[in-house]
Amino acid sequence: MNNGMESMLDMFLFETNTLLEQLEEIMLESEKEKSFSTDSINEIFRIMHTIKGSSAMMEFDSLAKLAHRIEDLFFIFRENNCVESFSEELRTELFNLMFRSNDFMRSQTEKIENNEVLSDNIDQFITDINTFIEKMKGNPVETVEPIVETPISDLKPKDINTDLPESDAAYLIQIFFDDGCGMEHLRAFMIKTAVKEVIGEDFTCIPADIEENSETCNYIIDHGFFLCIQKEEFVEKVVQVLKEALNVASFEVILNPNVKKATIKTEKIEETEVKEEILQNTSSGDNAQKAGSKAPNHQTQTKQSIISVNLSKLDSLMAIVGEIVITESMVTASPELKGLKLDNFTKSARQLRKLTDELQDITMSIRMIPVSGVFNKMNRIVRDMCQKTNKDVRLTIIGENTELDKTIVDSINDPLMHIVRNAMDHGIEEDVQDRINLGKDTQGEIILEAQHTGSDVIITITDDGTGVDTTKVLAKAKKNGLLTKPESEYSKREILNLLLAPGFSTNEVVTEYSGRGVGMDVVKQNIEKVGGVISISSELGEGTCISLKIPLTMAIVDGMDVAVGNSIFTIPITHIRQSFKVSKEDVILDSMGNEIVERMGNFYPIVRLHNLYNISTQVVDVEDGIFVWVESSDKSYCLFVDDLIGKQQVVVKPLPAYLNSFNIKDAGIAGCTILGDGNISIILDILNLHAASMYAF
Amino acid sequence: MTNELYAEKNINEFDIDTLGTSNDNSKKYLTFISDGLVFGIPIDNVIEIITNHTVTMLPRVPDYVQGIINLRGQIIPIIDIRLRMNKPAAEPSSSSCVIILEVDSIAIGILVDVVLQVFDIENKVTPPPSKSQEFISGMTTLADGTVIFCMDCKLLVNSK
Repeated sequence: MNNGMESMLDMFLFETNTLLEQLEEIMLESEKEKSFSTDSINEIFRIMHTIKGSSAMMEFDSLAKLAHRIEDLFFIFRENNCVESFSEELRTELFNLMFRSNDFMRSQTEKIENNEVLSDNIDQFITDINTFIEKMKGNPVETVEPIVETPISDLKPKDINTDLPESDAAYLIQIFFDDGCGMEHLRAFMIKTAVKEVIGEDFTCIPADIEENSETCNYIIDHGFFLCIQKEEFVEKVVQVLKEALNVASFEVILNPNVKKATIKTEKIEETEVKEEILQNTSSGDNAQKAGSKAPNHQTQTKQSIISVNLSKLDSLMAIVGEIVITESMVTASPELKGLKLDNFTKSARQLRKLTDELQDITMSIRMIPVSGVFNKMNRIVRDMCQKTNKDVRLTIIGENTELDKTIVDSINDPLMHIVRNAMDHGIEEDVQDRINLGKDTQGEIILEAQHTGSDVIITITDDGTGVDTTKVLAKAKKNGLLTKPESEYSKREILNLLLAPGFSTNEVVTEYSGRGVGMDVVKQNIEKVGGVISISSELGEGTCISLKIPLTMAIVDGMDVAVGNSIFTIPITHIRQSFKVSKEDVILDSMGNEIVERMGNFYPIVRLHNLYNISTQVVDVEDGIFVWVESSDKSYCLFVDDLIGKQQVVVKPLPAYLNSFNIKDAGIAGCTILGDGNISIILDILNLHAASMYAF
Repeated sequence: MTNELYAEKNINEFDIDTLGTSNDNSKKYLTFISDGLVFGIPIDNVIEIITNHTVTMLPRVPDYVQGIINLRGQIIPIIDIRLRMNKPAAEPSSSSCVIILEVDSIAIGILVDVVLQVFDIENKVTPPPSKSQEFISGMTTLADGTVIFCMDCKLLVNSK
């Protein structure tokens, strides 16, 4: 039971988050166009409706209430598309209100995710929305009545069958809504619109002024809402519409007693059914354009071509497939088969290899998702910062359909956000006049681009702002004590790399968005964590370009296998600069007896892996073994190993959880991998290995 | 004085803990020998027993962590029970084997001298008189007089 609830919660969170993301996209789009298209209004309406329904079901009242209010707001827009006629001020207010609500709902879902208590304080939002509706009313073009329920009713409750409203129609359909669902007149109006789509204009309804007169909702609560239909053939169709409409508690088709007195049919829609529909709506794919309020005859069941799967299942699938591939090579390369002539076996083995390769490719592709989700979030950041900093900047997104491993996409979100903020804050000129003087477009531009190159994806963030002033950077680095050699010896590339050093921030003022000085080095760390590389290029006055080279997936790395004694270690190829042999004379000893070797004019410490890890080996003489020059972040050193075994792609497996308490990660071990022969190779973490070796000396 | 009190308290706690399980029906234990002593592990925690395996050494771990093995694609750490109890390591022999345990979805293997058999232990399991080994939760005597040290796998996994 508890489990069922949990998976429902998961589902709810997943869907609500997807919907909120969609909402934000629509909002940004609409803001650009300065109005809502009918489609986007319908879409927002649908999103709010779904969120309202599902959060009410999960008993997240504050979410449901807020969604409900926004739904009402958009209902008004839907009925009279009036956003275009808004004044600039009013429109900005509307968008800000919407973005704030969106943020609030997001923070709420985050809280739900973290099992925190939800804040019930949504009064502020409700008041804001109400004030907004009031303001809208004050707008001369606006004709919408405020949605305030006033308890005025001169009509007394009457017995339904004896007191039918006067109508000369042959059939009357009396509809009651769920108790306390609120906004009865609006719901009645939705039904009216839906019915209109099915049977045309050939009917009337009582009360007639539902869309203008909010007082009618009291009448509807007491007496029900009536549809008056002349022709019998329409009755069935309308019944269909009503069956699918939301919040309809019950309805009854009545032959007008003025003509004949009989009840044809009574339908009671179970509340559960309505809920089910809400659920269905929630679970439908992104493109499903169905809403409970939409004409139900359009409600074609959209085929589900997308399913959501728990990531851990994909992880274990990946692991199993990796196993199959290895086992396959174990079987086909079995030493027992040597020297045997097995035509059929070889044929089948080849077929098997082909299939396992395919299987591996497909499994890999399952985990791939486009970067568009993360890219589109940047729209919002640019928008917000444009407003706050008074800069006019457009964000151009290229190649958002480039796919990356899900975990990598998740982990580049923060770094990207930071880079875009930096570009907005430091990159784009403060003063538009500066841009004009330089002959640039008054509107700044930030280009976010992703593209494939072999086994990597390159993401570039380019801005056409001021660019990096290298002299300033140098001065600042000097001030912060980041320089390790005379200023004049720094190349441009090295200076730009200083930007990535810890504790560097060129901005004099710490703003809300950037300039805390932890920025770029954290970005660098995060990118390196997923095996990526970051580089900066910049021309003063022309702009800055930051490019991130990120591997398609973390699960598989290109590694160089090296032997030390009986152990095998794998070094990620991205960290290897060179491997070389030296003669005894090339090894220099410092005063502490540490070994140092010179490479390309610089001196690097030697780390003997067998010493560090206490592995007994025959190879202790520097002339017998081989050096691997590795580099990660700003750490560069030479590893001394017995021998190179070869390069291969390996599937990274984490070390068993039991070992975590031994701080094995700090010993420079990133994980392990299973080799073709079933043995285990340990994958080295070059950065931590350096720290471990420094600690050891 | 304080020690006595502590022991008494422990016994009481233990009684409460085991009342539900040991009284309804007996508990099954897999027994094995390590350095001449007979130990028992609750059978619920035992996944399988394997014999020949290639251990990959891990650097910078306590000596009782022998290394990791590849068990059908799963990476499992191996602990030498002798070394874990600060006893000298055994000479490699054909009877020694690894018992794979799973505790709270953490899998570990323990290297033991000889695996005996599965016993139903009905007798009351009493806590050991001394707390020399934190992962030994109790002792009991079998019908034939053999004394069994009962291991608490949770403590084994969590204690370092």
